Amino acid sequence: MKLTRRLTLAAFAATLALGTAMPAFAADLIAIITPSHDNPFFKAEAVGAEAKAKELGYEALVLVHDDDANKQSQLIDTAIGRGAKAIILDNAGADASVAAVQKAKDAGIPSFLIDREINASGVAVSQIVSNNYQGAQLGAEEFVKLMGEKGNYVELVGKESDTNAGIRSKGYHDVIDEYPDLKMVAQQSANWSQTEAYSKMETILQANPDIQGVIAGNDTMAMGAIAALQAAGKKDVIVVGFDGSNDVRDSIKSGGIKATVLQPAYAQAQMAVQQAHDYITSGKKPAEEKQLMDCVLINADNAGKLETFALAQ
Amino acid sequence: MHIRAVAMILLAAAFALPGCKFVKTADQARNAAANAFDPDKAVADIWDSKVVPYLETRGAPIKDVLALAAIDVDGAGQKYGYKAKQGNAPWTFIAKVDGVVVAEETKSRAAYVDVDVDGDAKADVRVSIGPAIRGTALRDSLDFIDFNSFKNQIEWAQFGKSFNTRVNDTLLSKLPRENLTGKKVQALGAYPLPASGQLPQLVPATITIGG
Repeated sequence: MKLTRRLTLAAFAATLALGTAMPAFAADLIAIITPSHDNPFFKAEAVGAEAKAKELGYEALVLVHDDDANKQSQLIDTAIGRGAKAIILDNAGADASVAAVQKAKDAGIPSFLIDREINASGVAVSQIVSNNYQGAQLGAEEFVKLMGEKGNYVELVGKESDTNAGIRSKGYHDVIDEYPDLKMVAQQSANWSQTEAYSKMETILQANPDIQGVIAGNDTMAMGAIAALQAAGKKDVIVVGFDGSNDVRDSIKSGGIKATVLQPAYAQAQMAVQQAHDYITSGKKPAEEKQLMDCVLINADNAGKLETFALAQ
Repeated sequence: MHIRAVAMILLAAAFALPGCKFVKTADQARNAAANAFDPDKAVADIWDSKVVPYLETRGAPIKDVLALAAIDVDGAGQKYGYKAKQGNAPWTFIAKVDGVVVAEETKSRAAYVDVDVDGDAKADVRVSIGPAIRGTALRDSLDFIDFNSFKNQIEWAQFGKSFNTRVNDTLLSKLPRENLTGKKVQALGAYPLPASGQLPQLVPATITIGG
């Protein structure tokens, strides 16, 4: 009770503090909040959402929370303070973000989540997420095939606070563990980070020089892993990622990384803005809050058709 | 001036909030709830009473399903299948297979038989016989199950996997594994809309091979 009241007061205070300094806006505002644009996946989301918002006549406020739940909370305050009509959010943690989204809702601002879900329903209007389990199974099936159903491999896992890290790992293992001749010799989190994946991979290689494969929870970690493998002179290790970034596409085309799984990041972000627009203009909610977008396997056969998280038809 | 001073104090108070504690308690409660979820039991509870009767009621001969899907995918989906209202999942079709094995792959852990249902000696459908089963077709064919009633993708995935585990343990692990070609097959199951030019890959809920 006390907490809710203090939060409401804080939000009110933030509104006052910011409201006095800001001019009135001609167009309605949509706030677009994602993790850092250092990862091209999040950048594609922000660009896709912003383009759609402008197309529909909104002004866009693009912000990044750097996977920091406290910063995210402040950014939500900013969005509330600036009178945003809706928030498009790729959140900073399945549990930690529930209160932030609730805070926006209490202030009368609907949130439309993309990419990552939160562990609560009825707080956001939409949660549009990639079908990470389906995608991970596609990636794992390709990995198993490339490995010839046998060999030693390493798994690089994403950030623990993100449900997507756990679900992709589960999808990988639900497929790979069916093959007793595939042995996981190391499993470590590299927190979605390319530099961290590089250094983790270097260390793992010292302890386990005999590996034939690396399966990574996202593309930036796959990029870090392949760089470390190439630096160690291991050119034949099979690396599979997840996201469908242009970096990995180029690596696939030049014979480095073998496969990834495309998440339709750009389309997902645009869909969220469209749903926000429908909600703002007519109060219409989507038929289901949680919406899954299927992923597509990318390998040498179709890598040429991939551009900025979208596949040409 | 006065309002601003109050705002500053309130902002300072907001930053001083013991927010971590609040979240942590919620985390613990959710973790406890997650541990309580038993996907195998969730599937066992509905298998005989709801899942099999539903598939039996909706399953049509695969010849009919394929014929309609070839000219009108959405029409076939509405008549013989299911998909979630939102998102972009493909249709999952429910079908009965009654035919003859024309090819078999039993060396891979993801074993299957290719079945001819129209007597032209060409494969019309690929039936998974495990132990590795791909995808979540059985879960995705059910119109009375919804992702939104699950806590997150992890529980949803565990639930989907449990259908495959159950089918494998109770049904597929008991099937013959050798010289299957030429034998008769009867199965009832589900498959997701295949990529163009590929065989539908059916996960059986009931199956017999022999004769």
